[in-house]
Amino acid sequence: MSVLVILPAYNEEESIERVVDNIVKKYPKYDYVIINDGSRDNTSKICHKNNYNIVDLPVNLGLEGAFQTGLKYANLKKYEYAIQIDADGQHNPDYIDIMLKKASEGFDIVIGSRFETEKKPWSPRMFGSRLIGTAIKLTTGKKLSDPTSGMRLYNRKMIKEFANNINYGPEPDTIAFLLKQGVNIASVQVTMEERMAGTSYLNFGKSIIYMLRMLISILLINNFRKRS
Amino acid sequence: MSIILRILLIIVSILCMIIMMRKIRHSKFQIQYSLFWIILSLVLIAMAIFPDVLVMMSDVIGIQSPVNMIFLAVIFILLVKLFYLNIQISQLEYKVKELVQKLALSEHDDLKDIDDKNIKE
Repeated sequence: MSVLVILPAYNEEESIERVVDNIVKKYPKYDYVIINDGSRDNTSKICHKNNYNIVDLPVNLGLEGAFQTGLKYANLKKYEYAIQIDADGQHNPDYIDIMLKKASEGFDIVIGSRFETEKKPWSPRMFGSRLIGTAIKLTTGKKLSDPTSGMRLYNRKMIKEFANNINYGPEPDTIAFLLKQGVNIASVQVTMEERMAGTSYLNFGKSIIYMLRMLISILLINNFRKRS
Repeated sequence: MSIILRILLIIVSILCMIIMMRKIRHSKFQIQYSLFWIILSLVLIAMAIFPDVLVMMSDVIGIQSPVNMIFLAVIFILLVKLFYLNIQISQLEYKVKELVQKLALSEHDDLKDIDDKNIKE
C-alpha cells in the first residue's frame, strides 16, 4: 500500500526539521513530500541541507495551491493514499495507521477529528467550528465532529479529483460539497499538539472573513455546484 | 425610493447571483472571488425590501433623497473594490514575472547546475 504524507510548509524553519525527522525515523514505510509555499525564511535551505524530498514553489500560492501541488505529485506517482500533515507539528503521525485502517473499510476521505469521542469545548474558536458543523448538518443531513481539522486522508479517487479541479481547497466547504454528493467520509479520534512554533495565519479579522466564506459556500453555493 | 427602482435593484441583484452560480457550476470561477458579489447582491436586495433603513441612514448623514444615498454607497464600495483589485493585479504581475524569469533561467543549460547549488548552500 503506497501512502504519501503531504507537508505544506510556509515559513516553518523552527519546526520543519523535528516534524520531518519524526516521520522519517518512526515511519519509513510512508513516503513524504514537503511543499515549500514560497517561504521567505530558511525552510527551503534546511530541507535541502537534510536532503529531504521537497518541492519548492517559486511564488507563494496559499494553502489551497500548495496542497494541490502535493496531490498532483501524488496523482502523477500513482499513490493509493495521500494525507495532509501540517509542518508546524500540530498533527501527530502516530494516527496515520488508524486513519488508513478506517479508509480501507471503504471510505474516500478520513478526517482526523479531535472531537469524535471527546467533547468539544465551548471556546470562541470552537464556536466557529460548531457553526460550520451546524451548516453542514443542515445542508447534508450528516454530522461531522471536526470539520475544520486539517488532518485528512484521501484515497486514490479523491487524489485525482482534488488534483485536477477548481474550488477543491482543503477546507470544510469542499468536504461539505463532497458529502452532499455522496462521497463516503469518516472521522477517527486523534489528539493534536499545540503548534511548536509560528502563529496561526488566522487573526480575528481573517477569522470572520473565513467563517463568512465557509458559511456562504456551504449554505448557498454548494447547492448549485456540479461535480464533474 | 420609487417602486420601480426597488424592483430594478432586486432583479439586477438576483441576475448577478445567477451569473455567479452558473460560473461556479461550470468551474469557471473561484468561490472566494464570488463572495463580494453575493454579499453585495444580498445587501442591495435587503435595501430594496426595507427602504426605511435607507431613509433613516440618509437622514442621519444629511442626504435629502435615499436614492442619492444608494449612489454614494455604491460608488464608495466600487472605489474600494477597485483599489483592492489594483493591488491584486500588481501582485499577480509580480508573481508572473517571477515565474517567467525562473522558468526561463532554469531552462538555460549553463544555469541548471548553478541554480541547484545555490539553493543547497
